[in-house]
Amino acid sequence: MLNSVLIVFTLLQLGSSENLSHPRGIPASKASFYRPAETFRCIQSGKTIPFEYINDDYCDCEDGSDEPGTSACPMMRYYCENLGHKPEYILSSRVNDGICDCCDGSDEFEGEKIQCLNFCEEIGRKDREEKEKEKKLQEEGSKIKLNYIQQGQKIREEKKARLDQVEKEKDEMTEIKSDLENKKTEAETPEKEAKERHEKAWEEEKAKRKAEKEKQTALIVFDEIDSNDDQHVEMGEIMAHSEFDIDADGTVSHDEAKEYLEELERVGRDDFIEKIWPNIKEIFKSKKSDSEAKGDKDSQSTEEKVPDLTPPVADDDEDDYDGDDDEEDVDKQRVSENQDVENKTPEEDEDKMPDYDEETKQLIAAADDARNQFNDADRKLRDAETEMNNLKSFLDLDFGHQDVYASLKGQCFEMTDREYTYKLCPFEKASQRPKSGGTETSLGVWGHWSGDETNKYSAMKYEKGQNCWNGPDRSAHVILQCGMENILLSASEPSRCEYQFEFATPAFCSQEDPNANKETHDEL
Amino acid sequence: MTDRKMAMSIQCALISQIKMLQLLFCLSYFVILSSAVSRENFKTCEQSGFCKRNRAMQPGQSPYIALVDSLQVQANSLNIQLLNKNNNVRLKLEVFGLQDNMFRVKINELSPIKERYEIPVGDSLIEEPKLHNINLSQKDKDKVVFTMDSNKVVMSVEPFRMDIYSNEDPVISINAQGLMKFEHYRKKEEAPPAENEEEKPEGEEKKEEENAAETKTEEEPDMWEETFKTFTDSKPHGPSSVGIDVSFPGFEDVYGIPEHADTMALKTTKTTDPYRLFNLDVFEYELYNPMALYGAVPLMYAHNEMRTVGIFWHNAAETWIDISSNTADKSVFSHIADFVKGNNEIPQTDTHWFSESGVIDIFILLGPTPSNVFKQYARLTGTTPLPPLYSIAYHQCRWNYNDQDDVKSVDANFDKYDLPYDVIWLDIEHTDGKKYFTWAHEKFPHPEEMIKNLSVKGRKLVTIVDPHLKREDGYSVYTDARDKGYLVKNKDGNDYDGWCWPGSSSWPDFTNAEVREWWTGKFSLSEYKGSTPDLIVWNDMNEPSVFNGPEITFHKDVKHMNGFENRDLHNIYGLYVHQATMEGLLRRSGGKERSFVLTRAFFAGSQRHSAVWTGDNIGEWSHLKVSIPMVLSLNLAGITFSGADVGGFFKNPEHELITRWYQTGVFYPFLRAHAHLDTKRREPYLLPEEHMNIIREALRLRYSLLPYWYTLFYQAEQDGLPIFRPLWVDYPKNKEVFRMDDQFLLGSSILAKPITDQGTTNTNVYFPGRHDIWYDIETYEVYDGGVTKNVAAPLDKIPVYQKGGSIIPRKLRPRRSSSLMYQDPFTLIVCLDQQGSAKGELYLDDYHTFQYRNGEYLLREFTFNNNNLSSKNIDPTGQFNTREWIEKIIIVGYPKNPLNISIKNFSGENSKRLDHKYNSEEKSLTIRKPGVNIADVWTITIE
Repeated sequence: MLNSVLIVFTLLQLGSSENLSHPRGIPASKASFYRPAETFRCIQSGKTIPFEYINDDYCDCEDGSDEPGTSACPMMRYYCENLGHKPEYILSSRVNDGICDCCDGSDEFEGEKIQCLNFCEEIGRKDREEKEKEKKLQEEGSKIKLNYIQQGQKIREEKKARLDQVEKEKDEMTEIKSDLENKKTEAETPEKEAKERHEKAWEEEKAKRKAEKEKQTALIVFDEIDSNDDQHVEMGEIMAHSEFDIDADGTVSHDEAKEYLEELERVGRDDFIEKIWPNIKEIFKSKKSDSEAKGDKDSQSTEEKVPDLTPPVADDDEDDYDGDDDEEDVDKQRVSENQDVENKTPEEDEDKMPDYDEETKQLIAAADDARNQFNDADRKLRDAETEMNNLKSFLDLDFGHQDVYASLKGQCFEMTDREYTYKLCPFEKASQRPKSGGTETSLGVWGHWSGDETNKYSAMKYEKGQNCWNGPDRSAHVILQCGMENILLSASEPSRCEYQFEFATPAFCSQEDPNANKETHDEL
Repeated sequence: MTDRKMAMSIQCALISQIKMLQLLFCLSYFVILSSAVSRENFKTCEQSGFCKRNRAMQPGQSPYIALVDSLQVQANSLNIQLLNKNNNVRLKLEVFGLQDNMFRVKINELSPIKERYEIPVGDSLIEEPKLHNINLSQKDKDKVVFTMDSNKVVMSVEPFRMDIYSNEDPVISINAQGLMKFEHYRKKEEAPPAENEEEKPEGEEKKEEENAAETKTEEEPDMWEETFKTFTDSKPHGPSSVGIDVSFPGFEDVYGIPEHADTMALKTTKTTDPYRLFNLDVFEYELYNPMALYGAVPLMYAHNEMRTVGIFWHNAAETWIDISSNTADKSVFSHIADFVKGNNEIPQTDTHWFSESGVIDIFILLGPTPSNVFKQYARLTGTTPLPPLYSIAYHQCRWNYNDQDDVKSVDANFDKYDLPYDVIWLDIEHTDGKKYFTWAHEKFPHPEEMIKNLSVKGRKLVTIVDPHLKREDGYSVYTDARDKGYLVKNKDGNDYDGWCWPGSSSWPDFTNAEVREWWTGKFSLSEYKGSTPDLIVWNDMNEPSVFNGPEITFHKDVKHMNGFENRDLHNIYGLYVHQATMEGLLRRSGGKERSFVLTRAFFAGSQRHSAVWTGDNIGEWSHLKVSIPMVLSLNLAGITFSGADVGGFFKNPEHELITRWYQTGVFYPFLRAHAHLDTKRREPYLLPEEHMNIIREALRLRYSLLPYWYTLFYQAEQDGLPIFRPLWVDYPKNKEVFRMDDQFLLGSSILAKPITDQGTTNTNVYFPGRHDIWYDIETYEVYDGGVTKNVAAPLDKIPVYQKGGSIIPRKLRPRRSSSLMYQDPFTLIVCLDQQGSAKGELYLDDYHTFQYRNGEYLLREFTFNNNNLSSKNIDPTGQFNTREWIEKIIIVGYPKNPLNISIKNFSGENSKRLDHKYNSEEKSLTIRKPGVNIADVWTITIE
């Protein structure tokens, strides 16, 4: 069956195992199980089969142990000796399938489908070189890593120290603040009383002025209605004003006029002001020219505005009452502000409250001073609290063993591919922006370490990035590797909106042999 | 996720990567789309003029009469004129007797003013069907009667109808309801008919004059122009539809007319739209309704306990089919009335077929058995040629594997986790700007090397090649087609410009044989840079899909060769695309290597060129469930090499669903996992170990059964029988299984009922065949036929059974790909029937070339009788040397531990004792290592 070319290789390379007189596909250490005898005992199941059934390309043992050198038992593994490189087990389903899996080619011993060359020496050498290189990298990197650890620890100590300090400052500040708060209250009580006094006086003054103004208006109207200037308003004069036509029949009747005149035939000035005017001021329309009338109305409306708390007019919607009222207030405030600022006519200046008296002013100044001091203390306290929180959350971050990654916080690393510039700010965020310009897209903020069970600190997860249209929030998985400096090596998007970065850093270097615990272990 | 969002995400794939202009277009397109949900993108019957006109036909008022005086009879055909009494238009009816128990009925205009489209012979039909003698037995003024063997056709003259009898039983009637409608080509009335009604008769020809009055009464608003949404169909040739009713007396069950996301047994359309056949790219299609999908096979079977018959409606225009049934449509009240009256009415299914243009061309398949009708249809449109072995193994697809490193890593992970696969697929993103036959150079700088790394493990690479060509001056495939005048034209005669993946696109006119010839050349290794003989192709979007076209496809007035419109041939366009693609791949190897093409659009005959998948399904349980009837219907219609995307294309299926989908998918003739760009990665090795292990077992089951699958495909090439088949095909007299579409047979020997419901731990399985027994393929537990049994079906269990009396050859050594199994030994699984006998076949060859057509193959038969198992060559024309041998034989249902087993070869010498093992619980006897070559003749005797 063996092809002549292969025989050469077999004799040179594979023969060794045959020479050791144990069956194909097992390491020398297992030879004792396969000592020539009448029968063979399946290694795990214990079943006994004829010795010649070993490696006869039929699976007899349930554990597969009778076929270490063929593909007959799918659950079995084939041992490649791989002299010159390192030995390994392959799935026995890969024996004689036409693919050279072992570097010594021993898995394709039939030679029917393919003739494998032994290239163990070559790849062994390459592998050793790579390992050497890798080892060197790890060693060199580890030296830098020591600095990282020192830095990390230093940062932690500094932050801790600072936290202690800020905590102390905070306590002090809390006391000061409460002290200042008392002082503030003390200063504000007399201030408030003085201000209220002043304002009350002003309110009274304003009411007086308003009454006077009202009287003036009434007198003007009196003069207008009193068309015969007899210093009395008579029935006939009222009847001349069509607005007094209550039943809207086109004429002001005698009765109608009488009603407005409160059943009097004629009234003089004082009575008019006192009894008649309040009843007709809503109805009366001046017959004077527009300009004069306008002036009247203006004065009328400003007057009406003064008593802010006048109940709303009857047709106001009850449901909306509160809302409307609030809005109106706001509007009016704004209006009056505007008036204060923009329409500073002398007339309106009269309506302005006069300055506080000296005594009140002093009280206000004292209160302002107390308030400022208090606010200042309050701000400082809040600043301290913010800093404390920042320090605490920094100190709560897991920077890996011995805080080796702590010094990376606050730094950012970028790489650019064909289309995008990717940025990684460890323990903060990952992002992407188009090379051609444009806004940055968040690929996630720091989430957690996401390495596997063997090394939690081998990968980082950044999550809750900008939501993908019609998809998940963007996230980035950062796989770490040892390197002489911090470099973002690659960025890709294996699943939509799930990014993957490769990041090299001395912090990931290790002086332990990375392959130490991966040595081949026996299957049986 | 809403439809329109998904639509957006497809149209605007990789927004992040496209340039600003495209993005803008994309967004504006989205705005257009978003005005409607997906269903509203597609016409209802009410929105389709000719559908509405045909559906409005009332039974019993047929204006057609046969003109007996015009009858002409030849040896195997007759022709006669039909007259429409209402408009005096004459038609020509031809009836042909065909070999294999078939008739062909063709109706065309006697003297059309414009040639009506007929599908060229060789495109859907493989050849001009072979004729068979008919005999005229009666001809008088009422009827014409003729016979063909034991069949009789009675043609009534007024109104015209045809009743076909087989052995005196009525089986098919044509125009029995009088719904026939043949809209002759006519000149458009220049003046609006309402205004000068009186002056009308002024046509150029006498006939026109005669017709004028009647023609006018037929006028309806949609006849000369039709508007759907914002699209206006100019209809330059006016109304041209053809329709007729076909009744199946005595039949309650009809099947076929894929593609619909519906049950296998077709439903009455009394309360729905008719079933529609119009190849369309339907986004996130809805289930259980008669809406059109990506492909069309106008073939219907009717089946009852006595016989199976079928009709093939040979027309490539948009087609609708109404179905009614006197039993299904009956109200409860009339059922009660029947009961009271003791009415024993014969069940009948009536169908009404109408197409927008072309001719009436009906093939009548008279069975009478299920296998007869499949063979008859195969004689007309051909069978699925034996696929190369890798193509019936497992395909791993995703939109998209991003770059060559990604491909490498997926490939490596399959090996790392010991999951077999044969083909990895690249979707549209592998191209440079969606220009097919190119590579996105930055992502795939070394495609040849990438393919080589796959092919050393016997694997293949699929790239997608869609029919839309980016209209870009630097793109030679486009400029070449443009300069040669090969592109489909719009109604004004300019190159049709539509929107698809690359943006503004044009489409080669694949209906033109010269254009197909040109296209085949694009697949040569020198033309298709970066391709190798291990690259194969997938044709998507070939309905065709036109994002900004009416119903997401071509305008109907788009022009193809010879002055025909897309209206005339829409449903066959996709077939031409994949036919030319397959031809290109075959030419690449000088016709030596078999190849593989997957298509989404299809028509009757597509099975000769391509595998078909059921398009863009959704990762939901309902889509898993409906995949079984969908693939059954495709198989019934000759599209045997078909399957649904495992896992579902859209959305993110949960682990249980993915796992169950693999357990179902390993029984689809075409097995591919696929996923949308927006979905999370879901390659089996990314799933939790429990699920991955179950999926690995399912895939290994598929691979171990590949010898059986390959044999089934070989047989299907010979006889056209479905591979993935409903139970009624093998149990035609068993009424209980006529509508069963949640379990199925693979060939005759395997019964499967995969779980398609969430959280299921057991299921009812119906075991067919009152005299049959079935064995669980894992535990060898026995089940009697003719009963329903509840069986356990936890997540790691697929209810699959081997039939007692069958022998299935398997290859039980797991390998990384099917080609690594070529030389592996066989295990024969012999499941005994109640008489202790069994029989099975095995076909094999080199698994990848056409040498089998030169006799390089083996067709073996294994029989077990009277304690003797023997192997013989049952096809002496096939000879093939192989190293494959028999390593093991398992006889299931064997009653006792035998004393002695020996094997002797053909000459009877060298009798050799064989070791064995008997499991009395399973009643299974394992014979150790016969060690004979598969081509050997031998007998094993058990004593």
